[in-house]
Amino acid sequence: MNLCSLEFLLLLLVASAVFPWIANIRLRQSLLAMCNAGLLYSFVPGLSDGLCLGLFVASGYVIASLLQVHPHRWILGLYVTLLISAFLVLKKYEFLAVLLPAPVLSHTIGIVGLSYMLFRQIHVAVDALQGQIKDLSLWTYLNYQLNLFGLLAGPIQRYQDFAEDWNRLQPLAADSYDLLRAYLRIFLGVIKMVVVSNFCLESYESLSAVFVDDAYRSTGKNVVKFFMLLYLYPTYLYFNFSGYCDIAIGGAFLFGLRMPENFHAPFISRNMIEFWSRWHMTLGMWIRDYVFTPLYKTIAGHWPDRASSLAFLCYFVALFLAGVWHGATWNFVIFGLLNGVGVSAAKLWETLLLRRRGRRGVNAYLESRAIRALAVAGTFHFVCLTLFFFPSDLRRSVNILTNFVTRFG
Amino acid sequence: MQSVENEIQEVFCEVLQDDTLALTESTTAADVDGWDSLIHINLIIALERRFGIKFATAEISRLNSAGANVGTLYELVHKKIR
Repeated sequence: MNLCSLEFLLLLLVASAVFPWIANIRLRQSLLAMCNAGLLYSFVPGLSDGLCLGLFVASGYVIASLLQVHPHRWILGLYVTLLISAFLVLKKYEFLAVLLPAPVLSHTIGIVGLSYMLFRQIHVAVDALQGQIKDLSLWTYLNYQLNLFGLLAGPIQRYQDFAEDWNRLQPLAADSYDLLRAYLRIFLGVIKMVVVSNFCLESYESLSAVFVDDAYRSTGKNVVKFFMLLYLYPTYLYFNFSGYCDIAIGGAFLFGLRMPENFHAPFISRNMIEFWSRWHMTLGMWIRDYVFTPLYKTIAGHWPDRASSLAFLCYFVALFLAGVWHGATWNFVIFGLLNGVGVSAAKLWETLLLRRRGRRGVNAYLESRAIRALAVAGTFHFVCLTLFFFPSDLRRSVNILTNFVTRFG
Repeated sequence: MQSVENEIQEVFCEVLQDDTLALTESTTAADVDGWDSLIHINLIIALERRFGIKFATAEISRLNSAGANVGTLYELVHKKIR
């Protein structure tokens, strides 16, 4: 069952119609908990998968509770190391094949939403250590981790924000306009996912096949085809993911949960740093808070004189890891590398401008419409290039690029 | 003795290298030239050193989010040094 399936949408319609009529908060929570459990059950293929999922999720609660009482950094460090190791093995990251014996990676365990659970788990553990989570309860934690509106692909919500809504779970719609807006958002999400993104994906698939076939005996039309191909996948991904988020955010609202926004016109970004604050925003914020900030703070604390020059390295590491997190196959390493280079280059360019032109010169640069248009176009094409490596068939992506470069380069 | 607000103002001027900077409670990152994510962390490090305090990851994030302003920072610093 996925978020735009008929079964899910029918369940959503019925449960959201019943929800406002339930007077007791515990019963409202129980209804949502049953929906969470139902969706999860549909995704757990067997006992061993369920057991692994249970261990993975429960470990987060146990460790966070422990860290609240004994806030030792070594406990957090050890836990995060073990958690990430388990995650890499469970997801069967391809690079592990050179480090680990084959039987370790030959398991058939598949846990849905594991990548998002990992981020939520690290966030809860870090915040528990730093005294930022006061009211950690197993009931709230389980529903936070297994919340059907964020289970499959986010948005990545903070525990504190979830708990605030969960502990007073009640209808959020002030009037019928609010309700209509939520249902319209869900409808729009379904259209985006089922109609627009499917059309883009089918066009991408057929065009990429044709392009590979035609590449060596091409006509001039191949340039146009190549650029269509370059634009189609990002368009598919945008409509698919933002449509999914529309259903998740609109659906959650009907059950009294305010999920964070995940997209804000990403294709008008003027550089890759801005792009990651507009595209998959909750991932960008998580990476900023739990990778970039601690890394840069550590460097700036130990080597304050070299901090600004080492900042590029922090940008690179943070976005490289964000890229690799997306999937276990080698194409995501390239995706991560390109994104790491993109954000580091954006910061380097800004620093150079600041040194050469001063703050006033940079402001004039930022206000120029012509430069903005060029920057947006350049960033958009770079994003398209990075997303060219998003489909897991790396050989096909490389083939298409190689064919294009050798023929027209 | 300097007020906390004045000390914060001094830290901002040093980090942003702008002596003309005048903070108010309603000042946000968007109002100050150069106050980006990186400078935000530099400000946090400088404030931690000046006041001998530690900001949690969630607090740094909250100070960086929409709706946060210098007033939010004043309040947090006051709470921490109390």
